[in-house]
Amino acid sequence: MNVDNPPAAPAAKPKKVVSANPADRYSNAGNTPEPWDECARLEYGADRSFAWSVREQVIATPPEGRERVEEKLLNALASSGRTDAGLAFICQMLAMVASAKSVPALAPLLRADKTAYSARYTLERIAGPEADTAFRDALGALTGTAKAGLIGSIGVRGDTAATSALTALKDASAEPAIVREAATRALERLSHSKA
Amino acid sequence: MNSPLPLTRRQFLQHSAVTTAVVAAPLILPSGLRGQNAPSKKITVGIVGCGNIADGHYGPLLGSPETIRVLAVCDVDRARRDSAAARVNKEYGNADCKTYGDFRELNRRTDIDVVFICTPDHWHALVAIDAMRNGKDVYVEKPLTLTIAEGRALVDTARKYNRVAQHGTQHRSMKRFHDVAEFVRNNGLGKLERIDCFIPPNNRHCGATWQPEPVPANLDWEMWLGPAPWRPYNSKGCHYNFRFISESAYGQVTNWGAHYLDIGQWALGMDDSGPVSVEGHGEFPSSGLFTNCTNVNFTVRYANGVPMHCRTRFEGGGTARFVGERGWLDIARDKMSASDNNLLREMQAPNKKVQLELSNNHHDNFFACVRSRQRPIADVGLGHRTTTVCNLGQIGMVLGRKLQWDPVNEAFVNDDVANRLRTRAMRSPWSLA
Repeated sequence: MNVDNPPAAPAAKPKKVVSANPADRYSNAGNTPEPWDECARLEYGADRSFAWSVREQVIATPPEGRERVEEKLLNALASSGRTDAGLAFICQMLAMVASAKSVPALAPLLRADKTAYSARYTLERIAGPEADTAFRDALGALTGTAKAGLIGSIGVRGDTAATSALTALKDASAEPAIVREAATRALERLSHSKA
Repeated sequence: MNSPLPLTRRQFLQHSAVTTAVVAAPLILPSGLRGQNAPSKKITVGIVGCGNIADGHYGPLLGSPETIRVLAVCDVDRARRDSAAARVNKEYGNADCKTYGDFRELNRRTDIDVVFICTPDHWHALVAIDAMRNGKDVYVEKPLTLTIAEGRALVDTARKYNRVAQHGTQHRSMKRFHDVAEFVRNNGLGKLERIDCFIPPNNRHCGATWQPEPVPANLDWEMWLGPAPWRPYNSKGCHYNFRFISESAYGQVTNWGAHYLDIGQWALGMDDSGPVSVEGHGEFPSSGLFTNCTNVNFTVRYANGVPMHCRTRFEGGGTARFVGERGWLDIARDKMSASDNNLLREMQAPNKKVQLELSNNHHDNFFACVRSRQRPIADVGLGHRTTTVCNLGQIGMVLGRKLQWDPVNEAFVNDDVANRLRTRAMRSPWSLA
């Protein structure tokens, strides 16, 4: 053995640095997706564990925290990878906690045949003139069955400010029967509300 | 109590059919006496929904051809409606039974007097309301409706159009349940301390995920879903299994709870009211196609302080136990027992102060009321109240906190989230308007 050239000592293992912050120790614990992001990407038939996690948080949030939950749901609603099932789920959650603050985000969805039902699912349960206005504004944008559903929601909400618009639809020969019938029923309901 | 298996719904209705055949002898009257409600006039029937729940009605309906005539059947599944029509035609020896895929066509027939509604729960309100608007009397299977708002709309429609409307809670027409309710109402147990209702567990299961499947050629899936939120077809989520998916039903809470909670309501004299609070902690599946509670556990409490518990019983059928200061009474479809046999003997004593209406056959009672225009034994008004109790339990378990309920205004007290769960928007073009 050449003592002048002792074998190189094995490279010292880098010393593991342990953070003083306990939360940092779990930074590599796994790759758990963020439920609030995942719920927007929900697919029909897929595991809905993350959506369930969101649901539990929505339900458990006390009144003073609902504004924050509403915000998180609106963020999920706006996410780029949102699926049809995700939209339906988010709107079902918003239906429990949404306020007038959600109306601007939902109004464009209400004006598209494909997404109108999910938007109605939430909007029908938001009290106040903001939601009423969104419903009336969408009357000119929807067609056929989607329009009939919208009219039904207006009737259920008892929005008497829509009476003239519904009266016009009831008698509009250009509208399909399903829309005219929906308008007739909604007007009956509104007259009952007035009485 | 060692009880044998309870009577199945079908067994019960077959028994009823025999009774019907015996008591429903035809009356021959001069033609001049044959008015709309004359006993000699045949009552004509349409059936909407031809699945397993409808199966139980064919016996009573087809067993009295002199007084009842089934003219039409409707189902969104062509195979089911064809099978139902074949059954009717075989019984009558002709080919007259018409089939429909859309209930609105059946409801608009002017020659049909009454409509039996045996669809999945999410359709009950809409089909019944449309039928009553078109002048039909209705027999609506339990639970009366899916939501509280639907129930109120259905009852209001029945009143507005002066229709006879029976809720399909046939325990109301079983003497055993009548006797218990009447005994409890007359303080036969002394001061009532509590009611324990046990309901069976879910009898279908599925995994954590599922795959959309092609819709069978014979099925109109869009119409099957109707007002419920859209989802792709899967055979496990259709027909009988709808009851385990919260978009269509509330599982055994409404499937069996509608029967046993109903007897509690009856015994408490709450047919036009209900409890004042609810608290529940059920277990729900966090993934998979089925979303309804797998372990039910809730308690409603009435203004007089009496609690009514509802829990899953994992072995054995549904039962209700009434517990008072003098002992307890157990009641099921097939058996009744008590902590002291003297209670059972006392129960049969005549001339009780409070006497409840007695019906021995749910179909006979309904058809008699169709003729007399009286309200039936399980009028939809009380059916709505019982279905509301089911809804309170469901909402209480979903939210997992104690809720106060105002039975007069049919609203939760100071709980906006709970109040929002009393209703839900319907998929286009359907609505309660």
